[in-house]
Amino acid sequence: MPLLRSARFFVSLSTLILQWGCDLPKDHLSDSTPGSVLESASQTYPIQIADYTNQVHLFLEAPSRIISLVPSATETLLSIDVENSLVGRTDFDDAPGISHLPSVGTGLNPDLEILLSLEPDLIIAFAGESDPSIMKHLRNAGTIPFMIRPDKLEDATGIIETLSLITDREHMGDSIIETINSSLEMVRKRVENQPKPRVAYILGGEPPWVTGPDTYLHQLIAVSGGQNIFEDLKHEYVPVSLEEFFIRKPDLILSTEHTYIPKTLQNSRTIKLSSSIEIPGPGLAEAILEIARAIHPKIFP
Amino acid sequence: MKPLVYGSLLVFCLLIAAGLSIWLGPVEFTSAQILEALKGGGSPENRYIIRDIRGPRTILAIHVGGGLALAGAVFQALLRNPLAEPYILGISGGAATGAVLVISFGVMASQSWALPLAAFVGSLLAICTVLAIATNRNRKVDMRVLLLAGVVTGAFFSACISLILTLSDAPNIRNAVVWMMGSLAGTEWSTAIVVCLYTLPCTIILIGLAKPLNLLAIGEDTANYLGVTVEQVKLTGYIVASLMTAAGVAATGIIGFVGLIIPHGIRLLVGNDYRVLLPLCFLAGGTFLTVADTVSRILISPVEIPVGVVTALFGVPAFLWLLRGHTRPGQL
Repeated sequence: MPLLRSARFFVSLSTLILQWGCDLPKDHLSDSTPGSVLESASQTYPIQIADYTNQVHLFLEAPSRIISLVPSATETLLSIDVENSLVGRTDFDDAPGISHLPSVGTGLNPDLEILLSLEPDLIIAFAGESDPSIMKHLRNAGTIPFMIRPDKLEDATGIIETLSLITDREHMGDSIIETINSSLEMVRKRVENQPKPRVAYILGGEPPWVTGPDTYLHQLIAVSGGQNIFEDLKHEYVPVSLEEFFIRKPDLILSTEHTYIPKTLQNSRTIKLSSSIEIPGPGLAEAILEIARAIHPKIFP
Repeated sequence: MKPLVYGSLLVFCLLIAAGLSIWLGPVEFTSAQILEALKGGGSPENRYIIRDIRGPRTILAIHVGGGLALAGAVFQALLRNPLAEPYILGISGGAATGAVLVISFGVMASQSWALPLAAFVGSLLAICTVLAIATNRNRKVDMRVLLLAGVVTGAFFSACISLILTLSDAPNIRNAVVWMMGSLAGTEWSTAIVVCLYTLPCTIILIGLAKPLNLLAIGEDTANYLGVTVEQVKLTGYIVASLMTAAGVAATGIIGFVGLIIPHGIRLLVGNDYRVLLPLCFLAGGTFLTVADTVSRILISPVEIPVGVVTALFGVPAFLWLLRGHTRPGQL
């Protein structure tokens, strides 16, 4: 059914455009630090906890009907063993434990009706970029979505901590965060006195979108002893002219296996990483090793 | 007799379309569940989906569709051009630009009752520009220039929308695709009611213009001899039709071609008497957009297609067919 497929393509394209269109200016959001946002009042129920938008959520007990619209949060929930509490998934979640669940569509543009019909008591949503009317309807219907935004490493680990707190799996969350931090520390120590290759990370698109500063991808590159050639950009993710690549001369271009790299750049040294790199959840411990291997193959064979 | 038959038939179609729009969606309900929810029973989730998600959406589709079709018919009469329509004339684009501008600068929320007025300013700007470009020295509107000017103005406004949305850092604004292709997703009661409050009075005024429009169709001079205050009728028509377009666009974004195919379809049925044509256009337009919106959300559920895609899929072939039929070789 070609019509169906092209309609799907259009929709995914529009989601992409939507992400890009709103990705550029978000200075109004960046002044809130994760430490101040993800603050818990107590360790036992009832738990009061603020989300990214400073909306305070009250949990009288562990939520039992959860829908996560953010892939990294979904992975976190799976890794802290609460998959039995998940009642829905997005089109992109295909982990074996949840592939049988009904899908609500895409994470940024979920179908409101299906979402509500699953009667969730916790919806985890991405702060920014989704249709505001959806969030408003969810509020009106009585389920205020818990907004998260894993921009930096600290945000990502903060979200793991929060989710494990909400679901009463604190010890599991702590051990995941510990694993991530110890990989970071290990990599950081081993690349300490090494030369710093010039690295660009391409997220896709044409002109290609690259990571600027204030993102976990930038941080992973820095920790792995690389230098992000776009660290001077003003925003987290920015489309840059191809000419910039010839001016800034990266030693290495990183991207995932599914990312399109413009033909002009195909002569540069490019390493394709597994696509899980772009999901800042419990997989970060692995991600840091993969990026470190790409940047310093001699130290991390 | 004939108009009454068609009228009641269209009312019937509209009711069926509205029923389907409430009944069909990504979540399946039995008719018993629907009735229960409408009466205020059933689970709170079902009640919310049926009464607060599908309800306002259906009402909005009826009024926006009806308004666009009626506005299209009026523009066709005023300009004596079968291809005139709010979207093709760039009026919808102007309205959307006005709405996007005030929302992105935080002046107004997207449910504000005054938002259609901001969109109205944009639509007036568009129609004035297009008419000014298309009017030649003898104060006659050049039909070829009119359509070209409309299309180009529409493209310009689309660019403006993209630019404003790229520069804006307002978190609570819908994305460019929704504004340029139209969508009724996420409609709230407050939005639907605002649009009704603008659309219904405009509808009454425009239907009231039916008789002078009939005479205008013969020719402006003739209408003048027969006692029509031509300039006044034209001014009222342009302003009210633009306002009605603006109210719809402010709520749903740019939905094209409804104002083109509906009036022509109805003309084929009942002829050119605007006293009959205009009310039937409203009913048929409402029916058409309600059906298009239902299709847009069930075709590849749970993903929604922008409703403008559905109307364009029907509208563009209709436009091309009319273009072939109405232009002799060398005319355009």
